[in-house]
Amino acid sequence: MTPSLLSRSRIAAAVFAIAAACSFTGAQAQKALNWGVVADVDGMDVHVVSTISSWQIYQMVYETLLTTDKDMALRPGLAESWRQTSPTTYQLNLRRDARFSNGRPLVAADVVGTLERITGVEMNPAGVAAAKTDEEKKKASNRIASYWSRQFGVIKALSATDDHTVRIELAKPHTAFLPALAHISASIIPVKELKDGSFDPTKRLLGSGPFMVAAHKPKEGWTLVRNPHYWRKGHPKVDTLNVLVIPDEAARVAALRDGRLDYSAFTNPDIGRLVAGDPRIAVTTQSTTNYWRMDLNALSDKSVFKDKRLRQAMNLAIDRDAIANIVFAGAAKPDRPVPAAFGKDACKDVDAYKLPRAARLEKAKALLAAAGKPTVDVELIAISTDPIYARIAQVVQQNVRQAGINLRIQQMPVAEYLNKVFTKGEFDAALSWLAGYSDPSMVIAWWNPKFAVWNAVYHEYSQPLADALERVKAAADGPERDGLLAEVCRMIDDGANILALVSKVDYIAHRTDTVDIRLDPVTGSSNAYQYVAEYASKR
Amino acid sequence: MRLIVFLVPRFVIALVTMSGVALLVFVALRLLPGGYADVILGPYATPEAKALISAKYGLDEPVALQFAKWLGALLRGDFGLSMVTKQPVIDELLRRAPVTIELAVLTLALALIVGGTLGVASAIAGASGRRGALGRLVGALSASVPEFVLGSVLIFVFSRWQLGLQVGGFTPFMQDPVANLRAMALPVASLSVFGIALILRTTRDAVLRVLTEGHILAAVARGETPWRIVRHHVLRNASIPVVTVTATYFGHLLGGAVIAEILFSVPGVGYYIYSSLEGRDYAVVQAGVLLAAFAFVSLNMLADVAYALIDPRIGATKVRT
Repeated sequence: MTPSLLSRSRIAAAVFAIAAACSFTGAQAQKALNWGVVADVDGMDVHVVSTISSWQIYQMVYETLLTTDKDMALRPGLAESWRQTSPTTYQLNLRRDARFSNGRPLVAADVVGTLERITGVEMNPAGVAAAKTDEEKKKASNRIASYWSRQFGVIKALSATDDHTVRIELAKPHTAFLPALAHISASIIPVKELKDGSFDPTKRLLGSGPFMVAAHKPKEGWTLVRNPHYWRKGHPKVDTLNVLVIPDEAARVAALRDGRLDYSAFTNPDIGRLVAGDPRIAVTTQSTTNYWRMDLNALSDKSVFKDKRLRQAMNLAIDRDAIANIVFAGAAKPDRPVPAAFGKDACKDVDAYKLPRAARLEKAKALLAAAGKPTVDVELIAISTDPIYARIAQVVQQNVRQAGINLRIQQMPVAEYLNKVFTKGEFDAALSWLAGYSDPSMVIAWWNPKFAVWNAVYHEYSQPLADALERVKAAADGPERDGLLAEVCRMIDDGANILALVSKVDYIAHRTDTVDIRLDPVTGSSNAYQYVAEYASKR
Repeated sequence: MRLIVFLVPRFVIALVTMSGVALLVFVALRLLPGGYADVILGPYATPEAKALISAKYGLDEPVALQFAKWLGALLRGDFGLSMVTKQPVIDELLRRAPVTIELAVLTLALALIVGGTLGVASAIAGASGRRGALGRLVGALSASVPEFVLGSVLIFVFSRWQLGLQVGGFTPFMQDPVANLRAMALPVASLSVFGIALILRTTRDAVLRVLTEGHILAAVARGETPWRIVRHHVLRNASIPVVTVTATYFGHLLGGAVIAEILFSVPGVGYYIYSSLEGRDYAVVQAGVLLAAFAFVSLNMLADVAYALIDPRIGATKVRT
């Protein structure tokens, strides 16, 4: 070896040794977890964006007033206790040790301001008043139109009794008000900073949750670090949570295998089989109150489903057991408008669930014949981003053919699907899924298009159903409400406008040798990782 | 001077092309069904919410006015803000550019080494012989296997059996060169297949054409060795079509190797543009496509310069005509 080469190799060895030493000491001091997600956020505003991939990242940074457990019972969040003082009045007592990650204590004014923002109150009235042109007013305005505001009912009065007590009065009784506060779309944001302009919720995330944002590489990942002001002492148990965006399922499996990921969720029921040979990877099946659904267009003149009999025939002809068994290998169950995960039997007695398959097919054929269309051609939209949609569509295609309904499956990207179905209402049938949230009245409320609005272009309005839904919202949980839910189910089944298919199950795979995680067997508000602060690294 | 005169019309054509691309991408995006408001608000959007979002981002203004504003900003060097992050688009594209450039360079290098070598070898071997057959086989296979098929197979094989290469993800070269190459090997392999076929066929055809020319016969008659003939008389004369396809292929790679980047989670420009297109983040797509077009046009111009340098007759001929 020549002297120069010798010297170069020595330098290289020294550099390598220093780097290794640094990395070793760093690993000892810092505990980190790596979480694989399918997609990045679609926007930064926690009160506006309504995609589950965004919610899951917000849930690491923001907190809600209440949370729910595996039985959908309300649990303390930022509110450590609450009291319903009349059928329309609530008092929330906030934690005194809750702080935003900038160190400022979270107070009642933040809660009041947040709820005002969600319900569409202008947060920068002075700026808007000072603006001279429409263009300037538009720029100055901080007003948002959150889809979540309707789940609160109608808030009549909202006030901070003191720094840690909030009083809320509704215009009329609304049972789902408290569960609505447990959804990430009702996260509490720092309103003082919003008003003084030092925080823009459309640009960044700033909450009181276990983590705060250290870095964000769009579509690539996030570096979340421990919020030093998190109210739960000793938590989170790791210093850093690296969020890696890996859209491809097989690539996520590979990353789990080679240790680049500690945990990740999958929709593909084959995940268990894919990782079966690796003893270090465990797969947990988590039920949700969410379910796969099919929308039928009852309003367009071009849609065959304008005829209610054809919608009813479709509802009867679908074999939900086949979807559950073929697409989800039996992990999913046939589901109903009032999700089975709530433990309610509300919809079990309608024909679509009660009758055996052969009887349902006969009835479906009779309905088609009565409509003068013994066979009918229909286009079914399946979103192309997740292969599960196409698989469900294929099973439905096979089983409704037996009744005389010929489905043509049309795959399209999300933006095109959203535009075609919800903006233009130019479709026959479309596959999607509904979030069941944490109270049955929240999801079935969508069957009233005047309340939901988003489905107004394809959902038939029924005054009796709308009235029945209002009664459900006002009724407290118990036998009386169960009776009302059964009545609503019969009406929903008769209208057959949105068809519940099978329950939505998530598969969460994690490395047993690198992470201790806690998962509930059932989750309500699409909050699979609600115990993330307790996750510990074994490295 | 002759080179400058040769290049001026090309600059003009490039400018016209870039203007056309700018207009086309802007209009095409607005014609796509579904807008940013649809995506950000998801299925629960009300018309009021959509109107608020559209007003906030100026999407409610006439398309011509939106285009004029965008073009004005562009001429001032402002590529706009991402609607998702509200951060300058150009910063994110430049941050990702080295990843795509590395992927493109490694892919091109592999394609040139394998495709070029096999192309020359199979041309010299002629229609018969093992080298000729091997070249044709590799060419046919490479041209007929789509990169997403090969990529999926590689992901399955390397994730199932963990054969030492990293499936998905990216480590910067300066941070860990070995990890970087382990992560880039599979995307490069799947991406280079088409390039290998392209360069192999082009090289073989070009070499075969040159081999039939008189000066090669003269070199043989002079008793020059085969290697000397290839090196001095064949490669230079056969390189012009190879330079053309190489420049085009490199431009294509720099524009974003979308499928490979998605499959292997490589955080490059192509994946960013594609996912932004899905999310209707207009400013990102507009800037990304424009920069990709710029890279493509620039490389074509460089190829033109290369022609003139390789064969001075080309510049002279163009000027005369």
